[in-house]
Amino acid sequence: MLVVDLILGALVALVCGLDRVAVLQIMISRPIVAAPLAGWLLGDIEVGLQVGLMIELLWLARLPVGAAVPPDDTQVAIAGTVLSVALGKLLGLEGIEFILLCLLVAIPFGKFGQFFDRFARTRNRRTMERAEAALEAGNLSAAELYHLSGIAKFSMAALGTYAVIVGGGVLLVPLLAPVLLSGLEHSAEWIRLALPVVGIAVVIGTINVNRSLTLFSASFGMAFLLMWLV
Amino acid sequence: MMNLSPLIRLRVWLRLFLLQGSWNFERLQGLGFFFALYPALQKLYRDEQLQQVCREHAGYFNTHPFLAPSVAGAVLEMEQRRSRNEEQAVNIQDFKEMVAAPYAAVGDAMFWGGLRPLTAGIAILFAVKGIILAPLIFLLLFNLLPFWFRIFGFIYGYRNGIRSLEFLQQHRLPDWAIRIKETAVVLLGGVSAFLVFQQLQAEQIPKGLGFLAIPLVLILALCARRGISTLLLVLLTTAIIICLSLFGFEPTAWL
Repeated sequence: MLVVDLILGALVALVCGLDRVAVLQIMISRPIVAAPLAGWLLGDIEVGLQVGLMIELLWLARLPVGAAVPPDDTQVAIAGTVLSVALGKLLGLEGIEFILLCLLVAIPFGKFGQFFDRFARTRNRRTMERAEAALEAGNLSAAELYHLSGIAKFSMAALGTYAVIVGGGVLLVPLLAPVLLSGLEHSAEWIRLALPVVGIAVVIGTINVNRSLTLFSASFGMAFLLMWLV
Repeated sequence: MMNLSPLIRLRVWLRLFLLQGSWNFERLQGLGFFFALYPALQKLYRDEQLQQVCREHAGYFNTHPFLAPSVAGAVLEMEQRRSRNEEQAVNIQDFKEMVAAPYAAVGDAMFWGGLRPLTAGIAILFAVKGIILAPLIFLLLFNLLPFWFRIFGFIYGYRNGIRSLEFLQQHRLPDWAIRIKETAVVLLGGVSAFLVFQQLQAEQIPKGLGFLAIPLVLILALCARRGISTLLLVLLTTAIIICLSLFGFEPTAWL
């Protein structure tokens, strides 16, 4: 069953991973979509929704502008969901503490996504050189195919990142679970709150808006006051 | 030479969804732009002229993927004119250079910097309430504006050619980008308040303490502004919360 779950996760990783840069960009790569999709395929959409909710805002401030490559939050969200559901079934563990453990293991591995993504883009230089050679030779259809072959490199990057995060998780989560789950027992709900709030803080801190901190504080204060008093 | 049929234009538009398929650090979207235009160029040119035009379009090109259809539409109209040997005020490559960078800047600010946090914030509100349609709500809300630009930008560009340069000015897109970002900041303030309020309610902690979240978020925001990575902030925050709970810090008991 673990293998089937990992393969299903890989399918989601491939489709959503391509949406990040190479194909469509309709945002199925966002954690709030990709994680519930993985969870739904694995039979537990609620876990996916929890993971998506916690990861969505973390790297939202890292814009994919020009040559900038943000950490791969898509694969972190998908792998985090797959680990939570598949390993949870295998180890007989569930609940927010276990989801958080899987996520805390998956999040640092998101940095590998940048490495794989850069590798794909660097390899695409050769694709471009070949396409240019084909254009010089008058073989225009070949140049078209070279462009499409670039998508294959982004596919490999998405699957590579997914494999590293899931591989790392499968090795580390069973080792860390006995040590960390008890520590997470009393703090899980606060960490669940902290992850999206840290993401929001990073967005507020880095967004290019005049008086963003003032606007945020006023909005927070007003909304909180309304909820409290009404 | 002929005008481009709607079917050819549709093929070009659909191919623009693969614009970044061979993205690389040297030519960025260049090869993808050639790939998208190729069905139209095949209709407009023959033999060596076709080869020459294809080589031109495979050069450096970079703009925002949601605004690329506007550029492609205008380029198609200009290519039609060139194929008929009509004189044009601006060279096609110069036109691409002229519009690509401003479109990229406005698109990045509007879609990545503003619309994405705004719609993500709304979707998170639904997700917190356990509504499983939250992902679909996000997809619907986010994609409305990009698809409007992808569809009508392409049509507008094709109809107006070089005059589509006025698009940015006419629609005051830079102003819209700023407004969307400001709205996102306000909404994220509301989302944070909601998350904190829910947590305090669940833990039965006095609500007034929720206001303490403002300075905490501001400290984190200033850390992020000073270049401290998100990963480090996440790990530090998590470690602090775990340590506090391990050392028996129970907010309810403490209060």
